[in-house]
Amino acid sequence: MNDFRLAWRNIWRNKRRTLLTAASIFLAIFLALIVRSIQTGWFDNLITISIQSYTGHIQIHKKGYWDDKDINNSMVFNDSLMTLVRTTKNVDKTVPRLEYFALSSYGKQTKAVMLAGTDPGREDALTHLSRKVIKGKYLDIRGNGILVSQGLASFLGLATGDTLVLLGQGFHGVSAAGKFPVSGIIHIPSPQLDNQMVYMNLTTAQDFFSAENRITSLSVTLKNPDEINTTVTDLKDKTGTGKYEIMRWDEIMVEIMQQLKIKTAGGMIIIAILYMIVGFGIFGTVIMMTNERTKEFGVMVSVGMQKTRLAFILVLEMLFIGLTGTLAGVVAAMPIMVYFNIYPVHLWGSMAQAFISFGIEPLMPLAIKPGFIVSNVITVLVIVLLTCIYPIRKAVKLRVVESLHK
Amino acid sequence: MNIIEIKNLSKVYDAKTIPVYALNGINLAFSEGEFTSIVGPSGSGKTTMLNLLGGLDSPTGGEIMIDNTDITGLKSRQLIDFRLRNIGFVFQSFNLIPVLTAKENVEFIMQLQGVNKEQRDRRTFELLKSVGLNDKVNTRPNKLSGGQQQRVAVARALASKPKFILADEPTANLDSKSAENLLEIMEKLNKEEHITFIFSTHDARVVAKARRVITLEDGKIVGDVSKN
Ligand SMILES: Nc1ncnc2c1ncn2[C@@H]1O[C@H](COP(=O)(O)OP(=O)(O)OP(=O)(O)O)[C@@H](O)[C@H]1O
Ligand SMILES: [Mg+2]
Repeated sequence: MNDFRLAWRNIWRNKRRTLLTAASIFLAIFLALIVRSIQTGWFDNLITISIQSYTGHIQIHKKGYWDDKDINNSMVFNDSLMTLVRTTKNVDKTVPRLEYFALSSYGKQTKAVMLAGTDPGREDALTHLSRKVIKGKYLDIRGNGILVSQGLASFLGLATGDTLVLLGQGFHGVSAAGKFPVSGIIHIPSPQLDNQMVYMNLTTAQDFFSAENRITSLSVTLKNPDEINTTVTDLKDKTGTGKYEIMRWDEIMVEIMQQLKIKTAGGMIIIAILYMIVGFGIFGTVIMMTNERTKEFGVMVSVGMQKTRLAFILVLEMLFIGLTGTLAGVVAAMPIMVYFNIYPVHLWGSMAQAFISFGIEPLMPLAIKPGFIVSNVITVLVIVLLTCIYPIRKAVKLRVVESLHK
Repeated sequence: MNIIEIKNLSKVYDAKTIPVYALNGINLAFSEGEFTSIVGPSGSGKTTMLNLLGGLDSPTGGEIMIDNTDITGLKSRQLIDFRLRNIGFVFQSFNLIPVLTAKENVEFIMQLQGVNKEQRDRRTFELLKSVGLNDKVNTRPNKLSGGQQQRVAVARALASKPKFILADEPTANLDSKSAENLLEIMEKLNKEEHITFIFSTHDARVVAKARRVITLEDGKIVGDVSKN
């Protein structure tokens, strides 16, 4: 009869209580895992959309650009930089862009716009921009036709074939002005962007801003996004220090990340409350399990069992209950997570449309990440161990004579 | 040879308010092979004395020498270990571990002592046989009668090969037949294997079997009679 078997037998002295306690742990960890799985799956999707619709996994700018997004903080874009980036391990696609504000004018209306000069082919490969065209044609490599976002177009009263006047300040303060034929109207799911975007050829934009061969950002997507840190390091090594800033997507999408963090925190609070309730349940069990056996503890210590060993057995008992519940919870949640990971939920309606316009299948897979599974398991076990402080104290402070009188 | 020597032992409860002298300046010696009963009216200090002898409680004053060790000076851990290796206990209310079978209850102490399995099995079997329970080896306490449980308790107390066995009113919760049976077993173990027993009791028939009777009153020894 070793300590483990003794502990195991002890927990089955009151089957109902043990099962109820294990069941509450089971339910908590099961719900927590499903909630986290849905949340993580959803957030991963949002992040994927953002990455694939614009930012890319990594962006390279001239150092200082991110803090001051001025055209004067643009950088020279030449073959050597391109080759250097493209030959870096794990780099998949790249898009050079020149982005800056300008004033648009059509008829009597004027509006500030975000002008993005880009390489039409590369842009389409990374962000599937051509799929967002709802009227007219996508950008042509030759010619100075532009794409105008729907919200902006309707504000200005623009249609394809019309000519938009753009005014602004170019590189080194040179004034920029030009007339551009609208070749297509695009719909961008983000209303904010839909009200202000104008796309044109990179070379056209460089001409307009008098910024020959210059870009403000080079977006990069990766073959394996999980190895982003290695790739960032590689790029930093290759480009040397000082000249460029190389940013990860989560540094670029600060706002989105912040929102996701708040939402994650919301989910966590619900899970925390769940765990707290369960924690009190476990604590109740542990108090009962300890107090109804005080006399027995007295006997065991009387005949020669060290109090620390007694405490160890009591901890084992709680761990058995905790592990049974936890394991059952993980085992029950796993097939659900795996199933909806492999066969994601099909989205419908406008949500699905938005996904399609980003070139992403309208699917919502549940995420399975060792991270949140492990952290939930650890959380539950820590709670169980915390409740063990009570029996440990009881065992160590046990007064033999008094307990024998119980 | 004396296995226990008690010098000027006292135990005072509630020393701060109204002191109760549960034991008051006791001097006693016990030698190997004794079969001794401690008697006295309720509240005379019998339980207190056995608890002190067994190292379950600490005295207010005096010393308890067991085999040249003053157990009053031992630290908690050492004392527990000392009990494990030197003292057997039989309690009034049996106090077997409910989740363990008769065999496992007896084995329990030997496991704490680190005795190997083979020896444990042999000794457990011998002990249960000697208390007449070789057919209840795999029975749990709740399926045993009080008398049977107390016999398992005696076997358990013997398992550690203690220097002596302390029993506080071992027959108090037993019917007269079981009490007699238990006493017979204790006598037999005492005679045949020279196991030292020190027990308290209120039962005249139990007292009659003792070879030495120590009488307590108000925490003092008022009688110490040996018969042969
Ligand atoms: N924990 C305690 N706190 C205060 N007083 C106590 C305590 N335990 C025992 N006493 C007192 O010490 C005295 C001796 O008690 P003890 O239990 O040793 O008597 P006893 O001879 O075993 O009695 P009984 O025959 O009823 O079992 C009594 O006056 C009792 O009230
Ligand atoms: Mg008593």
